[in-house]
Amino acid sequence: MKAMVQVVLCRCCIEVSKLLDMERLQKVASESNNVVSTVAVDAVCDGRNLAPVMAEAKLKEVDRAVVLACHKKDISPAVVKAYRRAGVNEYLVEFVNIREEVVLPHMGDHESAQKKAETKLRAAISRAVLLSPLEKLTEQMATRNVVIIGAGVAGQAAASEAARTGAHTILLEKTGRSLKAPGVILPHSQVVGAKGYGGNFTLRIRAGEKSEDLGAAAVVVATGGGWTSLRGPLAKAVKDAMPLYRFYEVLLSGSPPNGPVVIVDTPDPVGKTVRVQDYAWDETLETVIELKKKHPDTLVTVVFQEMRAFGLSELAYKEAADIGVRFVRYDRNGSPKVDPKQPNTLTVKDLSLGEVLSIRFGTLVFASIPPNEDNKLLADALRISMTADGGTRRGSIQRWPVTTPKPGVFVCGSALFPKSKAEAKVEGQAAGAMAGAFVMRGVVEYGGVVAEVTQDKCSACLTCVRTCPYEAPFIGTASKAEIRIQACQGCGMCVGICPSKAIELRNYTDEQIMTETRTLLGGDF
Amino acid sequence: MIVAKRKPLGEIAEMLASYKKVTVIGCRSCVAICLAGGEKEVKMLVSALKIRNRKEGKRQDFEGLVVERQCEKEWVKEVEDKILGSDITLSMACSLGAQTIGDMYPKHLTFPGLNTGIFGVPEEQGVWSEKCVGCGDCIIHTTGGICPISRCAKSMLNGPCGGSADRKCEVNLEVECAWAAIYDRLKLQNRLDLIERITPAKDWSTSHSGGRRVFVREDAKLTQHQKKGKEVVL
Repeated sequence: MKAMVQVVLCRCCIEVSKLLDMERLQKVASESNNVVSTVAVDAVCDGRNLAPVMAEAKLKEVDRAVVLACHKKDISPAVVKAYRRAGVNEYLVEFVNIREEVVLPHMGDHESAQKKAETKLRAAISRAVLLSPLEKLTEQMATRNVVIIGAGVAGQAAASEAARTGAHTILLEKTGRSLKAPGVILPHSQVVGAKGYGGNFTLRIRAGEKSEDLGAAAVVVATGGGWTSLRGPLAKAVKDAMPLYRFYEVLLSGSPPNGPVVIVDTPDPVGKTVRVQDYAWDETLETVIELKKKHPDTLVTVVFQEMRAFGLSELAYKEAADIGVRFVRYDRNGSPKVDPKQPNTLTVKDLSLGEVLSIRFGTLVFASIPPNEDNKLLADALRISMTADGGTRRGSIQRWPVTTPKPGVFVCGSALFPKSKAEAKVEGQAAGAMAGAFVMRGVVEYGGVVAEVTQDKCSACLTCVRTCPYEAPFIGTASKAEIRIQACQGCGMCVGICPSKAIELRNYTDEQIMTETRTLLGGDF
Repeated sequence: MIVAKRKPLGEIAEMLASYKKVTVIGCRSCVAICLAGGEKEVKMLVSALKIRNRKEGKRQDFEGLVVERQCEKEWVKEVEDKILGSDITLSMACSLGAQTIGDMYPKHLTFPGLNTGIFGVPEEQGVWSEKCVGCGDCIIHTTGGICPISRCAKSMLNGPCGGSADRKCEVNLEVECAWAAIYDRLKLQNRLDLIERITPAKDWSTSHSGGRRVFVREDAKLTQHQKKGKEVVL
């Protein structure tokens, strides 16, 4: 049966830029025998604009589509919903990111932008023709448990919100401190292992000497930052040293700082290459400027190994220097030290002067603090990824700030990166509400773009089993690999490594990828 | 399993340079599992050779395929027309596979695409280590389950030698001294008395010497009568 493709061109991305020729793109689309409809729409992200497109889709009996607009993440919810209503499977809609891949990188270069847009359109049509409709399956969740790991500010807020949705909350706390939160509270307990997938996790909980399994439909990671006990020699030598966020709170309260202020990048700098989170520098510069403006007489020194102040922060750096903030750079051979016998003096070798400076201070502040070491163990157990800074990685800072890329696992508070109590609380509430809503759905969706084994080709060599980060492949009763579809995230690692080419990712088969690539290269390969 | 490694692309390209039509045949057994000659490696090699030819402006026809076990005639027979229809066959199996094809079609050229290496164990993904050399007379029950023939640089039967220091071998400081490992294992098993026992010189006649070795299982061999009943003549 012939594939019936509809090509949708978003005016917002194509015409507004004045870079691309809409008519020529329409002509390119019509060159393909499979394209039965080409429509231009004002902004595809607005569902209301899609009504005439869908009317045309039904009229022309369209069964698949190519959409030229901006990032798939921005537009796919509206577009996929509309097509689903028009009877088109969501996996048969192919997106081309014209804005970020053509318009933005080729500003002012009409010819190459047009050529690239046309090539990408041809490639997307060639791929769309080969796509297969895929279905999502559902499975009942075994429990309504939301397990919240960590009972700090964020964790308690998450428990309250999750409980309001009707989910059963279980709050795990590493210490034995007394807590007020709804649901079950397990003090002195930690997650040491996890199996399963969103909707049906089995967590291994260790409480003191005992270990037991706990079923969970969703998990909220609220492990906090590492600063509840500041580690490192500087923190040890100076008892009242504080992290930046706490100093900022002092500053907001209006009381003047205690004596000269020294801000060091980390409490543990000795003999090390220090790498702190980028945002720490934005916040440090913001804080010192405010400090200098409020209390101009305070002596402020920032001691750092490597400062990365991007974008407008560079101006902030200049402003800070202009209003009298001292910046002292050091390297691993001249790390800052505080002699515990003289807890008011910091010595550091200034890299520019080549001299050792003694800086007297009343307040010692750390721009950054080491991340919670539990995060790594937990990330291994839950198989979620981490940032280079040692925090938990989230879905998207704008769209899904408290989700992780793994369905059913949410994250909030300082497990992401150090933040204030107020922020941690808001994030905890958001994560709790999302986890509760996830659990109360009662079913998990899975499938779609997942790996599939051609068992005749499988040698049961275990390579996929060893490679998969999600424990999706296993060797089944037929002594051949099988994929636990619920666990499969569609990453394709097993597909790439399988020595017998026995595994394929649905809708990313060799044929589909090669056809698309060939078209991108002008069909001559 | 038998562990092999693909020859460098340049060497393979040079081998095949003067032949127009090339059939590349992989094997789905040991060499597939050790990521050297399965379907993926065959397809990757064919792609690499095509790209190389294109860059150099040469033309050759390549076809890649895999058989279940290239060391067995029945499986090779299944792709006979592909083999004989080409100018040369590049075997992506171990040398056993290459020689099976070579013996079956002696006039046809069959070249090796892999360097056959060791009897190895996957220590982790992508790492195989040698633990047996097929000497034909296994003694690991006396050495704590660790083979000194393959794992000791000197294949010593009564080790360690004077070159063992800090558990490392003097031949290569990266390599663990096999006899240090044997000592630890025997100690763990409470059988340290074995290390004091002198093992006399080994009977190497079962090992690789005096031409190729043939293993025969008389009771499994087909009789002349049974063979006659077979239709397929290989």
